Amino acid sequence: MFDTPLKEHEAKVDWSLISALAGLMLIGAFFVASATSGNESSSSPAWYNQAWLRQIVWYALGMAAAAAVCLVDYRVWARWSLVIYWGTVLLLGAVLIPGIGSTHGWGARRWIDLGPLGFQPSEFAKLALILALANFLSRPRDELQTPGTFWKAIGMMTLPFVLVFKEPDLGSALILIPITLTMLYVAGVPKRHINRLIGSAGVLIALLLVDILFAPPQWQIKLEDYQRRRLLVYFGQDGVPAGASAEQRQKARREMRNYSYNVDQALISVGSGGIWGKGWRNGTQNALGYLPPAVAHNDFIFSVIAEEKGFVGSVVVLALFSVVLFSGIRIAGQARDRLGNLLAVGVVAMLFSHVFINVGMNIRLMPVTGLPLPLLSYGGSSVLSSLIATGIWQNVFLYRRAY
Amino acid sequence: MMIFDQLKKNEPHLRVLTVSVLAGMLVLLAGLWWVQVISCRHYSENLRAQAFRTVRIPAIRGKILDRNGGVLAENQPQYVLGLYLDELRDRFQAEWARSRPRVTVTNRLPAWKRWLGFNPVSTVRVKLSKQEYMAHAAQTRYRAVSNLVHGLSRSLNQPLAVSYGEFVSHYTEQLALPLPLTNCDHRIMARFFEQTSSPRGLDLDVHPQRSYPHGPTAAHVLGFLVRDNRSASDELAFFNYRLPDYRGRVGIEGLYDGHLRGKAGVKSVLVNSLGYRQSEQIWSEAEPGLNVVLTLDLIIQKAAEDALRSRGPDARGAAVVMEVRTGNLLALASVPAFDPNVFTQGVSHDYMNWLNTPKLRPQINRTMQENYAPGSIFKIAIALACLEAGIDPRQKIYHPGYIYVGRRQIDDLAPAGEYDFHRGFIHSSNAYFVTNGLRAGIERIVRIGQKLHLGQRTGLLPGQETPGYLPGLNEIRTGWIPGDTANICMGQGRLSVTPLQMAVMTAAIANGGKVLWPRLVDRIEPQRLHTPDQVERYPVRPPRDTLGVSPRTLALVREAMRADVEDEGGTGRLAFVPGLRVCGKTGTAQITNARNELVGNTLWFTSFAPFEQPRYAVLIMVETETGGYGGMVCAPMAKKIYETILELERQQGAVLARTP
Repeated sequence: MFDTPLKEHEAKVDWSLISALAGLMLIGAFFVASATSGNESSSSPAWYNQAWLRQIVWYALGMAAAAAVCLVDYRVWARWSLVIYWGTVLLLGAVLIPGIGSTHGWGARRWIDLGPLGFQPSEFAKLALILALANFLSRPRDELQTPGTFWKAIGMMTLPFVLVFKEPDLGSALILIPITLTMLYVAGVPKRHINRLIGSAGVLIALLLVDILFAPPQWQIKLEDYQRRRLLVYFGQDGVPAGASAEQRQKARREMRNYSYNVDQALISVGSGGIWGKGWRNGTQNALGYLPPAVAHNDFIFSVIAEEKGFVGSVVVLALFSVVLFSGIRIAGQARDRLGNLLAVGVVAMLFSHVFINVGMNIRLMPVTGLPLPLLSYGGSSVLSSLIATGIWQNVFLYRRAY
Repeated sequence: MMIFDQLKKNEPHLRVLTVSVLAGMLVLLAGLWWVQVISCRHYSENLRAQAFRTVRIPAIRGKILDRNGGVLAENQPQYVLGLYLDELRDRFQAEWARSRPRVTVTNRLPAWKRWLGFNPVSTVRVKLSKQEYMAHAAQTRYRAVSNLVHGLSRSLNQPLAVSYGEFVSHYTEQLALPLPLTNCDHRIMARFFEQTSSPRGLDLDVHPQRSYPHGPTAAHVLGFLVRDNRSASDELAFFNYRLPDYRGRVGIEGLYDGHLRGKAGVKSVLVNSLGYRQSEQIWSEAEPGLNVVLTLDLIIQKAAEDALRSRGPDARGAAVVMEVRTGNLLALASVPAFDPNVFTQGVSHDYMNWLNTPKLRPQINRTMQENYAPGSIFKIAIALACLEAGIDPRQKIYHPGYIYVGRRQIDDLAPAGEYDFHRGFIHSSNAYFVTNGLRAGIERIVRIGQKLHLGQRTGLLPGQETPGYLPGLNEIRTGWIPGDTANICMGQGRLSVTPLQMAVMTAAIANGGKVLWPRLVDRIEPQRLHTPDQVERYPVRPPRDTLGVSPRTLALVREAMRADVEDEGGTGRLAFVPGLRVCGKTGTAQITNARNELVGNTLWFTSFAPFEQPRYAVLIMVETETGGYGGMVCAPMAKKIYETILELERQQGAVLARTP
């Protein structure tokens, strides 16, 4: 499997990965601070309650969790994968029950409150799925060729998908698809299955979009209003039925403008940053409240960075993520067995999808889905799951030569 | 390299994965390049459009000064007490928290909860629809402002009020600017500064207000301003907000508006997403306008106006005081005159009615905006024509008290008797001048008129000037009868002039035959003078024309004019000033209506002084309906002006108008 035999002095830690992660976390702390400093509220919270400090605490907790992941050989984790998977599914189910799940004042029921902190099980469902799928797919090659295995794997994805979709958290649900597909592909499942799946999924999505964008209201699939709007905004539609009066049309247009507001403002932030940016904490979009304070430090943290550090800053962020992702792929290549390989690949797929969708959303390449940018967006669950994911890589890297 | 390591390895799946991730990253990179580098300008403009409000700041208008630096028009700071609403957001929030609608509800609690001590009665906030919310928020803000203004009104002891409509329109349209509460006089300012704790957000704004410290003095020359916030052609065309500005309408204010108004500055106000002011920055400072320095002398101007007004408040007339060597105007007075201050402060209804009184017409500049029959003062020009035609001034004509021209009998004020040129001139004998004028011929008279540029504008104040009327050579060659010539010899008939033209004529007699351009603007200079080359001078122009008459003729006319004032029996005796030899000519023209009825008189006195070396020309014109004579009414006015000039010369120890 390896071109060069491992030597005794081989590193225990992938230093390029670690330094890229450290760089990202540093940027994250600084720009969460910048994004929350300009808030309009006249009384800023005490220093120990500041978002950037909380973020740093989450980083520390996340690194601790990542280290804990590395304590045990990933094969041991894999043995427990089904337990973890079903436990997560249970949590996902529990979130949907009003008494247990919390909305945190938003429309969607995504959080489980644990004392003062809330966590989102959907963030961990991704990891659980990666673990379970890697375990499931590391079976003899000829077994992978059977359609049964393929459909079982799809089934393993569908269960959390439906539950997360129900929350509703469309972004987190959709992200399970590329993770699963990538893992299936790398595991060596026959191409025709995957092609068929991609083909049918493509047709389904196309039908869905046509339905949402063009069908009369009574024929449309029930989506949450905001989800439908986000899609309409992305496709530049005003969503007015054909027979609407001019007044209705105008009202719908106005509403549409309100809904596209976040994206428009994110674009202005990113675009006005120019090449060199306006300087840390000098971005006006966020400080003056044009970029809504509710999203500036989490979903739209990238536009804050892009505004304040310009194209150069964006390139630095992308470069750091590239280092992280390619380290992940290299770790996958160095893994001792298919289990390790698939684990690393699943994490690569997960992180890459987040980065691509989130950054793409900031420059209107992607519709708004509410996916966080790993490590940079403010939020405990996202930071924790991202760091645990890199912990998995580290685990695979660490035990690569123990055969 | 990490990426290429992957590609070299013989693992097709991972290689595909590497390429996919790389491609994804490159797509993002390209997108970012497009947004941040290529379209940067577009998005920066969007940012500016949504976050900056530009405010036009009018420049400080230049002053208008008299020749000695006396102020004719200047700017007074006007203090406006304004309220910055962005500083009141704490109050808005407090008021909102206090007044947010709540209801008290009684919850149906289960028995065990009640047993545990939960209170079933609680106060909850009423859920508001978006419209209700907006309406309530607007009311709340207004209440907060209204309370503050009420408190302020008590502490300043000055009734202040902001109506809901005013407030809402200010809030929606001009949020980035302060809400103006009141104009401050010294009393309010003193109270405002005495207060140790005035509420946040209050500030005094200074607006320059045009002021004409001498009221109606020289009003027609100065002109007035009208409200006009528009951009001049060399400025930014678009502004979000414009502070009040004015534009000169007529007179010097209108004519030199481009110099006086300066260049407006631009202030930009950074506003947040709610439209509240965040910070301000001056993008370009306003450049103050230039001062216009006139040739007028404020003291002589006032003396001339006072002299005209000595006939009463409804006196109508004009006075021109000119330096005969240069054409510099020392006074250009027209009564009745308006007060230019009222146009910037708001014209009352009564004042507007007064301005439109058909008989008074205060807005008319009588020195050059009206046509008048010159009457007997035109005999100066007739005298030039006769003497140049070779008529002997010593030749006597018997005059019976009237003459016939054709079948028309013309009465004469001069007593019957023998008249030579000298006697005919000082008694203003119609018989003498008609007889000799007919002898000299109308063509000579018209040519003299053309040399004097009668029937032509001087271009001194465009829009305020009429050319008058002088018959052309073609007109006198066809259908012209001797009666027409006779009328012109008496300064009546198909001839009309402006007082300014008559002053130019008098100056030409006095200065040896040079027909001058009247001159009003001496120079234009910056408000703060640093180097002399910043001054734009308007030098004395070379004479417009020369009369082309012999020195003997001029000397004869000058001598006759001296005699008219100094000799026994002269009509201008009342203009005699001890210590200054005044030379003059009186005139009384009759104004008839369409049915040839006498409806009024135009009384004239034109003069120059001193006889030996003439320096000043003074012309007085008065309109009456009740008769009177130029020698009786106008000559004493001229005398007052000469006395003022003498007094000034004595004070300054030098002559005002230097003789070259």
